[in-house]
Amino acid sequence: MARYVLKRLAIAPLLLIGIVTIAFVISRLIPANPLVSIVGERNMGNPTVVAAAEARWGLDKSIPAQYASYMGNLVRGDFGTSFRTKSSVWDDLTERLPATAELTLAALLFGAVAGVLLGVVAAVKRDRALDHLARLFALTGSSIPVFWLGLILLFVFYARLGWLPGPGRLPPRTLPPPHLTGFYTIDSLAAGNFSLFWNCAKRLIMPAFVLGWGLTGIVSRLIRASMLDELYADYVRTARAKGLAERTVMIRHVLRNALLPTITIIGLSFGALLTGAVLTETIFSWNGIGSYAVEATRTLDYPAINGVCILGGAIFILTSLVTDVMYAVVDPKIRLS
Amino acid sequence: MENFGNPVNTIHKARRPRRQLSGAVAALCAISLIAAACGSDSGTDSGGSTPAGDTATSDTAGSTSSGGDARELIIARDMDLQTLDPQRAYCDTCQIYLTAVYETLIGIDPNDPNVQVPRLATDWSANNDSTEFTFNLDPNAVFADGTPVTSADVKWSWERLANIEGPASYLMGGYTAIDTPDDATVIVTFENPNSAFLPVVSASYLGVVNSKVAEAEGGAVAAPGAATDDQAEQWFLSNSAGSGPYALASYTDGDALVLSRNENYWGSTPATFPKVTMKQVQDSTAQLQQLQAGDVDIAMQISVDAMGQLEGDPNIVSNTVDSYNYVYIALSPGAVGAEGLVDDNVRQAIKLALDYDGILDVTVAGAGQKQASPIPNGFIGSADLTLPEQNLEEAKKLMAASDFPEGFTVNAMYPTVNVYGVDFDTMMQKVQQDLKAIGVELELQPVEFPQWIDQINAEGIPVTAVYFAPDHTDSSQYVQYFGSVDGSSWATRAGGGAAGAQIIDPNQNELLAQALASSGEEKTKLYTELGQSMMDANIIVPLVNSQLVQAYAADITNMHNSACCNLELNLLGLK
Repeated sequence: MARYVLKRLAIAPLLLIGIVTIAFVISRLIPANPLVSIVGERNMGNPTVVAAAEARWGLDKSIPAQYASYMGNLVRGDFGTSFRTKSSVWDDLTERLPATAELTLAALLFGAVAGVLLGVVAAVKRDRALDHLARLFALTGSSIPVFWLGLILLFVFYARLGWLPGPGRLPPRTLPPPHLTGFYTIDSLAAGNFSLFWNCAKRLIMPAFVLGWGLTGIVSRLIRASMLDELYADYVRTARAKGLAERTVMIRHVLRNALLPTITIIGLSFGALLTGAVLTETIFSWNGIGSYAVEATRTLDYPAINGVCILGGAIFILTSLVTDVMYAVVDPKIRLS
Repeated sequence: MENFGNPVNTIHKARRPRRQLSGAVAALCAISLIAAACGSDSGTDSGGSTPAGDTATSDTAGSTSSGGDARELIIARDMDLQTLDPQRAYCDTCQIYLTAVYETLIGIDPNDPNVQVPRLATDWSANNDSTEFTFNLDPNAVFADGTPVTSADVKWSWERLANIEGPASYLMGGYTAIDTPDDATVIVTFENPNSAFLPVVSASYLGVVNSKVAEAEGGAVAAPGAATDDQAEQWFLSNSAGSGPYALASYTDGDALVLSRNENYWGSTPATFPKVTMKQVQDSTAQLQQLQAGDVDIAMQISVDAMGQLEGDPNIVSNTVDSYNYVYIALSPGAVGAEGLVDDNVRQAIKLALDYDGILDVTVAGAGQKQASPIPNGFIGSADLTLPEQNLEEAKKLMAASDFPEGFTVNAMYPTVNVYGVDFDTMMQKVQQDLKAIGVELELQPVEFPQWIDQINAEGIPVTAVYFAPDHTDSSQYVQYFGSVDGSSWATRAGGGAAGAQIIDPNQNELLAQALASSGEEKTKLYTELGQSMMDANIIVPLVNSQLVQAYAADITNMHNSACCNLELNLLGLK
């Protein structure tokens, strides 16, 4: 397996170069001018200002020269400077990644655990009320627009009831905990500030629910279908014939086998959630990679767009690798080569 | 104003109570799944009607960002900041930041854009032909680090603004020298008359920087070549070097801009709030909710439609005030595909076919004004012009007499934005509907802003929509940007962009030169003529001079809208 992992890791840079190249070319092909976000609409007719900005940001060079320069810098670990934030893209990404990762992990945790539980219940109570309710929940989660759901939740649970805190990772008038991981929940715990931990954790509930509900639906339906396939398998009959408790049969035998395809979905969903939290981050004022990507795209911030693509590509490569490895761990019959 | 200088420990810390639970609770049952999951947890924590988010604030001693009993002012805003470099910045939020941190020599009375007030300069004068301006600095003025503000700092700041070739550099256009005969005197000389310079000096982009600090610590350069040699932009993202009532505490893109009170502030209107956090909240509904919940003190971009939700809330004040911002459509006869617009009769017919009152209703629910020319209401030269009215009968007559009596179809590419409360999609659909009545069929083409700018500068766009907010308080900026004068953006765009030929009116050029050399009533008369001339050109058609919605905590005082600076934070107080 180690050889397989090393081989996969070895081709990762090639994949990333391909991703960067495609992103670079596509962003340059768009018939739009990134300078407007640098110098402003009113100055686009001012040749002096436009020329100065082009020279400063290297946009006066030919596209191949820009590409060569960008790749050269990239090899040296320089992701460039964002047109929009004027900061290093690497700094921007590393600053925002913990916010998105914390939200994504919370969403993944909710989506996976709730999905598995619902799936199990639905399979065990097949065609009964609980199964129908689980299906309704799954369908709703998969089809409801994230933007709408986020606004409604905020309106009800924050603005009206006051049960949950509002948008943002921190309460108003509160400083972040001392930086350790960038995950406010972990950092506040590490600092011994349990009150802040609890508040940060509560702030995760709504965005994690919004982001993870769709995954819940997918996982629950997948678990249900897989379990129903397994329920009538010979080995399950044998287990029951041996006199094993029904719970043991379900959890140790049926669920374990039914989990196999679900692991792939959950693994790949991590990457999708991480890079797809755009709307959720916007609604909940969550300063993560998603909102950064939106602004970068909106303003044609080339270095930032490329940086996000590299990060997203790396995440997908890693998560698919981890998923494959986990697959082999869960099912000893599978040999990676 | 009466609260200026209040000791901070008199400011009450109590939170504004949350709005009472309303009948909407019943609707919650529909989403009861998570209510059940979350309710028990938060119920014990938040206690009563206090927002759940507040608990940690009061509990986390050492984590709260404002110390003691002092209250931090929190403003929710969708920030358009891209830099904090005072000479590179150019945006609405920049105006608020720069005004708070970097003082200008002259200020503007928030109640009257045409009245200048002293800031760093105690007095100022211009020679008869407006080519030389002299400023005397206040000897008490000091930067936040306690060092005096000198004429050398003013010269350095303005030269850096000019030489850095940034978005606001045009404000220093045409100067030939900045002399500093002594530490307290600044003399600026222009090649040609420039009566706009005193209002320009009040623009926040002309704020004064502590030159020694910026050079030594930030690597800032003011000399010619600054456009390439200056390396200070990143330094300015985490440092400030001004003399204003606030200093930069921290800035995180996409999250918050935090200002702390300048305890060395020398001026007569020190800041009431020890700390101001401008929080990035993109969505206007989220701004509204956070204001209602008491999590923010001011919500800056609430829509007119949403104001109804604030009615009856004793903890929130909401109202509308006039602004100088407006939205317009532009008719470009020189643009590719704009053959139908070459005939002046057609452009005039289009202006007469528009239902201006209906557009105001549809876009801003009537919370706006009509505007005659590109010079907005309240600026010199706007008062005596006739506001537009729909006249379909006359419009149809003009079309019949035009080269296109049967009408025509024309492209209308516009940026998909929502500014000053105006949704461009909605507005352009209304315009499309109005113009159908005279046979002009608009092919609406909403695009992203960078794409729009590429097209408008390359080939022009026959019919489009854009917006404008002033950089300073002189009317010249409207002629220089919209007029058929040399160097005007719209003279080029209306003529077909880079591919076309500029539309220049020698009379407007002459009138502008005279206006820049005049003052008083003569200046007003000349800008009125220029306004009328721009109206008669039938190129720029202002549609909505929108009002600004102010929504803020009821204990905030002196909320205002400044023509030069948007919001002057040190003028805000507490009851």
